Amino acid sequence: MFGYIYKRTSHAIEVLLIVSIITFAVLQWIPGDAAQLILGAEATPEKVAALRTAMGLDRPWYIQYWDWLKGLFQLDLGRSYLFGQEVVTLIQQRLPVTMSLAAFSMILASVTAIILGSMAAIKKNTTVDYISTSLMQLGSSVPAFWLGMLFIVYFGLELKWFPVAGYVSPDHGLGPYLHSIALPSIVLAIGEVGMLLRTVRTSMLDSLSQDFMDMAKAKGLASSTMYLKYALRSAMIAPINVMGLQFAKMVGGTVVVESVFGLPGVGRLVLVAVEQRDIFLFQGLVMFITMLVILISLLVDIAVMFINPRIRIEMQGE
Amino acid sequence: MSAEKAIDIKNLTITTQGGRTLVDNISLHLNKGEILGVVGESGSGKTLTAKTIMNLLPENLVCKAQSFCVLGADYLTMEKKAKKALVGSKVGYVPQNTGSYLHPMIKIKDQIADGYLLYTKNNLEEALQRARRLVSAVGIRDTERLLKSYPWQLSGGMRQRVNIAMSLMNKPRLIVADEPTTALDSTVQMQVVDLLKAVNAQHETPVLMISHDLGLVKYYCQRIVVMYAGQIMEEAPVDEVFANPKHPYTRALIKVIPSLNMKKGERLAEIPGQITAKRSAGPGCVFKERCSYCQSACERDIEVKKVNDKHFYRCALDL
Repeated sequence: MFGYIYKRTSHAIEVLLIVSIITFAVLQWIPGDAAQLILGAEATPEKVAALRTAMGLDRPWYIQYWDWLKGLFQLDLGRSYLFGQEVVTLIQQRLPVTMSLAAFSMILASVTAIILGSMAAIKKNTTVDYISTSLMQLGSSVPAFWLGMLFIVYFGLELKWFPVAGYVSPDHGLGPYLHSIALPSIVLAIGEVGMLLRTVRTSMLDSLSQDFMDMAKAKGLASSTMYLKYALRSAMIAPINVMGLQFAKMVGGTVVVESVFGLPGVGRLVLVAVEQRDIFLFQGLVMFITMLVILISLLVDIAVMFINPRIRIEMQGE
Repeated sequence: MSAEKAIDIKNLTITTQGGRTLVDNISLHLNKGEILGVVGESGSGKTLTAKTIMNLLPENLVCKAQSFCVLGADYLTMEKKAKKALVGSKVGYVPQNTGSYLHPMIKIKDQIADGYLLYTKNNLEEALQRARRLVSAVGIRDTERLLKSYPWQLSGGMRQRVNIAMSLMNKPRLIVADEPTTALDSTVQMQVVDLLKAVNAQHETPVLMISHDLGLVKYYCQRIVVMYAGQIMEEAPVDEVFANPKHPYTRALIKVIPSLNMKKGERLAEIPGQITAKRSAGPGCVFKERCSYCQSACERDIEVKKVNDKHFYRCALDL
């Protein structure tokens, strides 16, 4: 177990190193100069040179890289010159928004996908199956920005059930907080549920065709026991992996939904960094997202290990 | 509907939705306290017959019968739920030992007793007590460790003992064993069949044993039904099958039982050819392509002939 986590951690560090090299190299090679970009085309060469020195851009690239890397290992992601703040601080301010969105939409999508996907598999080739799979296909093919706007117009402006934009922190009460992220979470969930539902349906079908299901039926077990205790248990491994990937993707920023609903999340920060050419902010964000994805996939692998006793016991035996 | 028979099937036919016949008009009965062996190659329809009795027939197959009674209950008029409850509470199922009939992610103790808990309304402690008793009765010494294990931590022989113990949990009034000794080595094979025989002797539980191994069935069954390509070829008490086999297929099966007196280098006997898909061969005997006695009479449809009250066979020839 500990050997496994050690192995995974050292692997994660390798990945982080490679990503850091690529990010740094790409931003070094792109034409233009960070200082020039900040000051604009009309700036005098003297001013640009002064800023370059201030930002440390006049040093050799390997020293710049080394300094940046040293910072990374102390969780210092650099400083945004646009905001004049630490990247870590900027992320800290925005992470709760993105995390809330990702968590709620993941819960919504998972519950829906597990219930509908299992039903579609159990009642294969019936109306339930056709309706749930085609509805989900529709959900994943409608673009999120359009669906978001539709929801704002209908549920926000027409029915006035939900606020049309903005984020309320849970400090101001749980009710207003949930109210403010409900619509964007639903929109995000609709986009994600299709793929998850397919995965659940496929692995459930596989599970239902196994011999142990024959045995469960021969024992005369109630349908609920058969499906929940026997079928779903072995059908959950693939969906959990997909959930992990989807969650990691969302935590890395849900640019479109955050923009449509005017939510101050990580996705919007990435957008700003790209639009305003804030290279340090962008570098920092890329590294942060990479770390997060690695961490989440590690957690997912550990979760799968706990569900599957075979992997768990073989790990302990090591 | 006869109460003395544990299984009474008349004219059972199983077809695919496309109309291909898999089991062709067979009649079969299992008397109280009896062990009946159903013998045949793969594809003879014996497993499908067992699955129909166990209420496990795949939904894409169509099953018709004139009558189909199990433990006095009429399958043809019964509701789905009642059938499931009957099979669950009164019929024990010993599957082929492929290791896949036990759920790999659930401990033995959590899957051996769930049927018992459902149908006896006893509590978990009583259920585990019974499981421990049965598991040690099937020859497992370290019962606690076994119950805490996952199926893949057990050897094939252990797993099959668990399957047998599990089939006995509800004190079944009928046991259906579908090739219970497949993939076991021969000493364990004997132990497994001995166990079934002991249960049969103790509680007079009737056993339907499906096998492709006539040599094994010989020692344990009172009566044998020989199936081929979805039809019953011969049916007789076990002594008569070996003393006076009437059907060429039965004779061929007896001949392929390996003997200990074989000379070194002698080839094992085999039945030439492969089992035909039922009815692809047109009318006539289903075995004619592989039969060394085949004559023109075999091209016509074959009547079932009677040797005595208990011995029937389906062959045009009088051998």
